[in-house]
Amino acid sequence: MKVLKITPEKCTGCLRCELACSYMQTGQYQPAKSVIRVSPFEGHTSYAPYTCTQCAEGWCMTACPVGAITINVAGAKDVRDDVCVGCKLCTIACPYGTAFYDPDTRKAFKCNLCGGDPACASACPTAAITYEDTATVDWIGDFAAHRAGRLLETV
Amino acid sequence: MAARHLIIGGGTAGINAIRTIREEERERSEITLVSAERPYSRMVLPYFLDRSIAESHVYTATPRILAEWGVKSHVGRRATSLDPKGNVVTLDDGTKLEYDDCMIATGSSAVRAPVAGADGANVHSFWTLDEAKGVIAGIAPGSHVVMVGAGFISFTILNSILSLGAKLTIVEIAPRILPRMVDGPGAELVEKWLEKHGVTIRTGATVSAIEDVKGKPGTPARKRIKFARGAKGGDIIADVVIMATGIKTNLDWLKDSGLRIDRGIVVDSHLRSNAPNVYAAGDVAQGPDLIAGGTSIHAIEPTAQEHGRVVGANMAGKDVQYRGSVIINIVEVCHLDVASFGAWDDTTAEVISASRPDRPAYRKMLFRGDRMTGAIILGPSSDIWTTNDVGMLKGLVQTGQPLGQFKERLRQQPFDVKTAFIAAKTTARLLPETVVGRPSKAPGDTPVAV
Repeated sequence: MKVLKITPEKCTGCLRCELACSYMQTGQYQPAKSVIRVSPFEGHTSYAPYTCTQCAEGWCMTACPVGAITINVAGAKDVRDDVCVGCKLCTIACPYGTAFYDPDTRKAFKCNLCGGDPACASACPTAAITYEDTATVDWIGDFAAHRAGRLLETV
Repeated sequence: MAARHLIIGGGTAGINAIRTIREEERERSEITLVSAERPYSRMVLPYFLDRSIAESHVYTATPRILAEWGVKSHVGRRATSLDPKGNVVTLDDGTKLEYDDCMIATGSSAVRAPVAGADGANVHSFWTLDEAKGVIAGIAPGSHVVMVGAGFISFTILNSILSLGAKLTIVEIAPRILPRMVDGPGAELVEKWLEKHGVTIRTGATVSAIEDVKGKPGTPARKRIKFARGAKGGDIIADVVIMATGIKTNLDWLKDSGLRIDRGIVVDSHLRSNAPNVYAAGDVAQGPDLIAGGTSIHAIEPTAQEHGRVVGANMAGKDVQYRGSVIINIVEVCHLDVASFGAWDDTTAEVISASRPDRPAYRKMLFRGDRMTGAIILGPSSDIWTTNDVGMLKGLVQTGQPLGQFKERLRQQPFDVKTAFIAAKTTARLLPETVVGRPSKAPGDTPVAV
């Protein structure tokens, strides 16, 4: 399966991924509606994007009481808007913090890999986000541990 | 001969067990379902109440789906006794069902506080679909609805009642609201928020009687709610009373079964009772508790779902150990998210807490050493950082991932869970985790013809 590979060292924090994502997902250029999120590290001197891993368990999908979350052609867990009632159970079941709720539509929303052509990867000018056939790993844990740890030591 | 699986209870645990048996089995088995009601999702009843979904939307397994899954169903029937030595269950119409293995998932029922008049007209419970229909029929724009009990169930239907244009008063016997979901400071914040949104709350108030108010003939009877001495304020007049005063597990029918019952049916890590071919799941099961150790009843939807899948896999011949359940709850009240996880009420744990004086935001994180064991989070649902951190707190509690130096980061920045979550490499810990030992299948992917 093709997945979003994150190379945090290449991220400049430009937020193009968030703009592209929110536009694809909700029709608005609004980072608050993006399901990929760029986190700052070391007091905004480095950055890394974070999004759904499309995990094997699919905690959001198994938790949904009405079967509104399914697996799409790209292999991504995808919310069916016409079935979702907006109960938010997926947002607390997802242990990665990547199932969201949109108060405007009163539905859950999450990364669905744009059905196989993820806008964040296309928008990234530095190839920090690429769409590749590889196994998903914890792309940014080591980077974050190093950067966040350094800042803690200096405080 | 094909294995005969008997599922008693068509709620979340029952339907998940059936699906998982069909997903896992190598040879087609015989599955029989006994369910007092048509299978539906209790979680979505608040959305049926506010008329944002149709009744058809609440059903989880229609007769057609059950037929496709090859399930023999006894819907509308209750099991009245279990003979684990003879492997027979008797139903309320006298039918006897033999099984090779059986799962008990008979759930809970609403209990009304023992108050005079609590069983009168226009006094409702809100637990089953039929009860939900009763409440819907009673509420009109401008109605005054009084909910007795300020627990999780009340709070799940609070938005729905307001959106129907009703006026709402909540009455609670305890000194504060949500006593089993958030701590004192959290409850105080929610209470202030609700009052700001026009909801009247009366805590520390014991209802002594619910009486009819005499009105003009032909008009619906209004209710007078009287309080025990010592409660502040006078009687309350209501159009509709909802008694949300607790639930009890449906276990009475098992009292002569010989099953080991403590607060629930005590089950092992495979969710088996003391009768090895009798499993229990959901609200009636006292199963492995991931945070506290030992066994607990966690009467919530996600536990019923996980229990059902683990039992289904074991019935189908897999060897699946359940890692244990974690209490997780979320309600949204007037656009304020209120969630809690794990051992949020552990008075002996180390605590990091923080609130924002300028906005309705509160957090509490509880620790044993450098592992998070519980959490409470309150914040506006429009605040993206609330929803983001909600899931990550669940992840940290569920994994017990050692936070090391990043616990210090949470102390410095309690409103940023993300950095500590990522830097503690919680993602790496979570990626291999599954409940039944393989990737989950999508809801529509249950094999129908094996």
